[in-house]
Amino acid sequence: MDMHSFINFFLLPGIVQGSIYALGAIGITLVFAIMRYGHFAHGDLATFGAFIALAFTTVLGLSPYAALPLAVLATGVFAVALDRLFYAHLRAMPKIITTIASFGVALMLRSFVQVVWGVNTTSYTRGITRPENWFGIRVKSHEIVTLLVAIALVVALHLFLTRNKWGKAMRAMSDNPELALFSGVDNGKVIALTWIIAGGLCAASGFFLGLNTELKSLMGWNILLPTFAAAILGGVGRIEGAIVGGLIVGIAEELSVLVIPGEYKVMSAFGILLLVLLFRPTGLFRGKVL
Amino acid sequence: MTALLTMKNLRGGYGDSDILFDLSIEVAKGEIVAIVGPNGAGKSTAMKSIFGLLDIRAGSIAIGETDITGWAPNRIVKAGICYVPQVKNIFSEMTVHENFEMGAFLRKGDYSAALDRVYNLFPDLRTKQKATAGRLSGGQRQMVAMGRALMLDPQVLLLDEPTAGLSPKYMEQIFQISRDVRDSGVAILLVEQHAKQALAFADRGYVLAAGRNRHEGPASELLADRHIAEMFLGG
Ligand SMILES: Nc1ncnc2c1ncn2[C@@H]1O[C@H](COP(=O)(O)OP(=O)(O)OP(=O)(O)O)[C@@H](O)[C@H]1O
Ligand SMILES: [Mg+2]
Repeated sequence: MDMHSFINFFLLPGIVQGSIYALGAIGITLVFAIMRYGHFAHGDLATFGAFIALAFTTVLGLSPYAALPLAVLATGVFAVALDRLFYAHLRAMPKIITTIASFGVALMLRSFVQVVWGVNTTSYTRGITRPENWFGIRVKSHEIVTLLVAIALVVALHLFLTRNKWGKAMRAMSDNPELALFSGVDNGKVIALTWIIAGGLCAASGFFLGLNTELKSLMGWNILLPTFAAAILGGVGRIEGAIVGGLIVGIAEELSVLVIPGEYKVMSAFGILLLVLLFRPTGLFRGKVL
Repeated sequence: MTALLTMKNLRGGYGDSDILFDLSIEVAKGEIVAIVGPNGAGKSTAMKSIFGLLDIRAGSIAIGETDITGWAPNRIVKAGICYVPQVKNIFSEMTVHENFEMGAFLRKGDYSAALDRVYNLFPDLRTKQKATAGRLSGGQRQMVAMGRALMLDPQVLLLDEPTAGLSPKYMEQIFQISRDVRDSGVAILLVEQHAKQALAFADRGYVLAAGRNRHEGPASELLADRHIAEMFLGG
C-alpha cells in the first residue's frame, strides 16, 4: 500500500471518526471527573443533538453549519435539564444507581428521537460531495470542517479550564471535591457547567457523525462503545486522554478493515477496551479507576 | 473574653453512630486554641462538624452572634471560617499558584495583596508557583494547604494536624507562621498529635477523650498538670 492510499483510505477517515469519538469522550470524562459515574446516555444525547441540528435546518431553513452552534447550545441546556430531572436526586446514593438511570435516559432519548423524526435514515444535505485533491490527498470539505471545529472546541475548552475562574473550579472539583467545597465553590453550579459543556460537545459529535455519514435514531447508541473505549483508553477524567484515545480508536477501527471484515469494525474498539481494562485500567494518562 | 467561634454541647456523628457526645469549645479573636487527645478521640470530627460534614443531633455552632449550625460549606466559608483538613488538603494536580487562586475563589476583584501576603509568609513557595502541588515535599505541601486557607483573610482558621509527619524544622516554621497569623487578629483552632509541643505554643487547650471535653484551660496549666501529662501527653 502506498503512502497516498494509506492516508486517503485509513489515516484521514480514522482521524475524522476519531475526532467525533474524542468530542463524545471528553464529555464522558468530564462527567466522570465531576460526578464520578459513567454516563451511558451519552450516545443517545449525541443522536438528540444531531437531530436538533436537523430541526434547525428544516424548520428555520439554516445551513447545517449555521445550525451547529445553535444545536450545541440547545443540547447543553437540555443536558442540564436532564440532570436536574433524572440525576440530581440520586446524587447522594451509590453511583451505580445513576449509571443505571442513565441507561433509562438513553432509552427515553432514543424513543423521543424515533417518535419525532422516525426511524429512517436521513441527512443534512442531499447529493454527493466531491473530495478536493491536494497533492494526491483526497479530502472532503466537511471532513476539513470536522477537524477544524473539533480542534477549535478542544482549544477553547483548554483555555476555559486553565484561564477561567469557573474552569479552574471544575478542575478543583475533579481533583479534590471536599476541598473545593471548603474553598467556597458551589458544586451545583459546577455540575450545571459540566453538563453544558458535555452536552454541547456531545451535540457536536452527533452533528459531525451525521454530516460525515448519515442521521439515524441508532447513530449515537452505535458509537457509545468506541466513545467509552476512547475515554477509558485515555484515562478517565483526563481530557487530553480522551482526545488521544478518540484518535487511536478511530484510526484503529479503520485499520482493522485490513484484517477483519468491515462490518466488524466495532470489534476493534471492544478489543482496545478489553486490553486497557485488563492491563492498564488507569489508561494512557493515568486517570481515575472506574 | 468574648468568643468568636463557639461550639456548644455538640452531639453527633457519621450516619447513625455518635462520635461526639457533649463537646464545647470556644475560640476568641487573636488566640490559638489547641485540641489534643488520643487517636480516635474525635478531634478531626470536632472540626468537621463545623463544616457540616456530620449529622449534628444536639448543640450549636456559632460565629460571633450568628448561628451557623447546618449551613452549607460555601456559606460557612463566606462567614469567615477557613479549614485545612488533616488529609487531602491541597489540590494536588493543580499548581501552587492555582491552589492559592482557589483559596481566593470567593473574593471579588483584585486579590494580589492577599497573594503577596501568603508568599511573604511562605517565601519558599515563591519560586514554586508553577509547580504541581502534589509533587512538592511534605512540608511545602502543608504550606500550600495553609496558604490556600489564608487567601480569604479568614476570621477563624481551623488547622487539623498541620505538623503531622513534618521535620522539627518545618514544625517550628508552621508554629511561627501560626503565631504571626494569630497576631494579625485571627482566631486559630488547631488539632495536634504532638500534644506537648502544641500546648507549649498555644494560648489555651482542650483535652478531648471519647468525644467529650476532659480538661480545658490555659495551655501552660494543662502542660504543668501532672495528671494530664501522665494520662494524655505521654508522661
Ligand atoms: N467519615 C467517617 N465515617 C465514619 N466514622 C468515622 C469517619 N471519620 C472518622 N470516623 C470515626 O470517628 C472516630 C473519631 O475519629 P477522628 O478522626 O475524629 O479522630 P481523631 O481524634 O482526629 O484521631 P486521629 O488522631 O487519629 O486523627 C473514630 O472512631 C473514627 O473511626
Ligand atoms: Mg484526626
